Amino acid sequence: MTLLREPSPTATADAPSPERPPLPLPRGLTFTPDDWQILARYWYPVATSDEVTGGPLGVTLLDVPLVVYRVGGDNGVGGDVVIASDLCPHRGTKLSIGEDQGDGQGIRCPYHGLRFGAAGKCTAIPAHPGDTIPERMHLTTYQAVERYGLVWTCLAARPGDEPVIPPVPHWDDPGFQQINCPSIDIGAFAGRQLEGFLDVGHFAFVHHESFADPENQVVPEYMPVPTDDGFEVEYWSTVSNLPPGTSLTVPDDFLWLRHYRLHVPFTGTLVVHFPGDIRLSLMNAASPISATRTRLFDARCRNFDTDQPLQEVYDFNLQVFSEDIRVVEQQKPENLPLDPKLEVHIPADRSSIAYRRALLAAGLSEFFAA
Amino acid sequence: MSARDAIDVVVHAVDPDGDRVLLVELRPAEPGERLPAFEAGAHIDVHLGGLTRQYSLVGGGVDDAAGPGVAAGREQVAGSDHYLIGVLLERESRGGSAAVHALSVGDRLTISPPRNTFPLDPDAAHSILIAGGIGITPIVAMAEALHRRGSSFEMHVYTRTPESMPLRRHLESRPWRDRVVVHYSAHGDGFRGNAQTVIPGPEAGSALYVCGPLGMIASSIGCAAAREWPREAVHTEQFARAQAVETSGEPFTVVVASTGRALTVGPAETIAEVLRRDGVEITLACEQGICGSCVTPVLAGVPDHRDEVQSPAERESNTLINVCCSRALTPSLTLGV
Repeated sequence: MTLLREPSPTATADAPSPERPPLPLPRGLTFTPDDWQILARYWYPVATSDEVTGGPLGVTLLDVPLVVYRVGGDNGVGGDVVIASDLCPHRGTKLSIGEDQGDGQGIRCPYHGLRFGAAGKCTAIPAHPGDTIPERMHLTTYQAVERYGLVWTCLAARPGDEPVIPPVPHWDDPGFQQINCPSIDIGAFAGRQLEGFLDVGHFAFVHHESFADPENQVVPEYMPVPTDDGFEVEYWSTVSNLPPGTSLTVPDDFLWLRHYRLHVPFTGTLVVHFPGDIRLSLMNAASPISATRTRLFDARCRNFDTDQPLQEVYDFNLQVFSEDIRVVEQQKPENLPLDPKLEVHIPADRSSIAYRRALLAAGLSEFFAA
Repeated sequence: MSARDAIDVVVHAVDPDGDRVLLVELRPAEPGERLPAFEAGAHIDVHLGGLTRQYSLVGGGVDDAAGPGVAAGREQVAGSDHYLIGVLLERESRGGSAAVHALSVGDRLTISPPRNTFPLDPDAAHSILIAGGIGITPIVAMAEALHRRGSSFEMHVYTRTPESMPLRRHLESRPWRDRVVVHYSAHGDGFRGNAQTVIPGPEAGSALYVCGPLGMIASSIGCAAAREWPREAVHTEQFARAQAVETSGEPFTVVVASTGRALTVGPAETIAEVLRRDGVEITLACEQGICGSCVTPVLAGVPDHRDEVQSPAERESNTLINVCCSRALTPSLTLGV
């Protein structure tokens, strides 16, 4: 009842393009088919930009094996990224087990030497050099976009579709150093991991060896606010976020603001407000390998300690997430129960309650990712 | 709204005051009539063709009085000869704000009597008023009322630039203008940068009022909570409920539709407790209206919603109730259990 703004439609987290026909389901599906069709419409990172070369990189997204490589550029370096089904159309060989040819001309099937180049097109069949290449010998490819130091794809996107990739706040702001910590593999469901990223009640218990004070356990009230594709939360507390070895000092009575944004389904960002204009901004992009395995990608930027060795950032990030992994890999059930009856909630869970509601609103099932 | 609640008014003046902001003065359609008195923080419904929009009253009063007729706390003046509303033209207007901006002097409209869901605490020793953007409108009325009472207050206004500030000229005309600190976010003085200075540790008797974009209000609640403000001293319209939900109230009857049994819910009992005692299976989780586990169909009667799960539209439909905390506005509720 408020007046000051006209009522706006309730935020919906609808998946893009729901009118398209279902995609063929992958072999060894670990999701329920309906949930998989919904999840396949979103964009996820599958690699860091710097790990994609002219040679084949095998990854898996939503149970779909993919091969990622570059074509052109200087022997693949700086070339265009190709993301294709990791399966040779000729005899079903896993292309990612092939060797880097070192020529920037694409990948080669390790079985019969077929070459695949730009846009996944078959460019050579060594057994029959002069013959016309059959149309069906080209690879099934997926859209590839490089952003925030990561390679993103969407299984359902078609050429010309606008990529829907959540922003990393401050990434392009002057004075900010851009960092990609190495990806971290987690033996747990992406929804469980992402919910842990949003959780503000576990710092004192899980992160007391990295950044939190074990005595600082009370969670001050906070309020999630709906956005177009999820929600945001501004969490104020006295829980410090000072990294080890930092040059920063912070007054004792300083209140730390952590500004979270959740983008359905598995991407979160966090901007930590240090004193003045000092910010740490990071993206937690949980890329679902399967319903029980997740590759966590990181893109972050900061306008302090920009001369510190990056290895310290990588090590600290791994320490923090290792602390989380110990918990998240043991949570039961392995999936994220969206029906509120299935777990018990406290006020500190307003973010996770909002997260589960946002996933339900996107059409995912109540017992999510069986 | 019943016909007797409708008040016919005429647009007496329109005055652009800020980027896309129009200050509109409404007077009774019949000369010599008075408009109902109002408290600071109150709003009116404005009927614009088929649309109804709510706008906070910036001010109002009587021409010959020394000050505007805004009452502090629960005091009310005898009546007003005009109301002032300040309306931002929304960039994606669904018709309401555009219709207001199309008004001309002499146009006639109907409005509702004022209602107040954002009242001042008349006993506060010191009040901190925080306004963001067009959220300034009820805050101006509050400042007016506090000034009139001689109460201690300070007002912080957050706006992007000097040019975009709503109601700047109106504010500059007020005798309490020196209580106002204006913060320009485009000049690096945004709310999140200095909230922890503007919201200090709570002094006994202090009250905090915030009106602005939803995110700023939510952030204020969080900042005040981290500063250990008592929840009841933090006043907003959007997130009205206190942290600990009040589940007690007048007794009423719930009827179990499947059995026809009528059960009394006592003043200190919840519907869930009473249903469970009668053998009705109800799944509870948070037991304080935040998770939605216990949402139950309502077949008859009107709930007194005390949860924060249902959206405003869901609440108004009166089809569901959170039986862990909500009660009844009608003597009886029939539940689909």
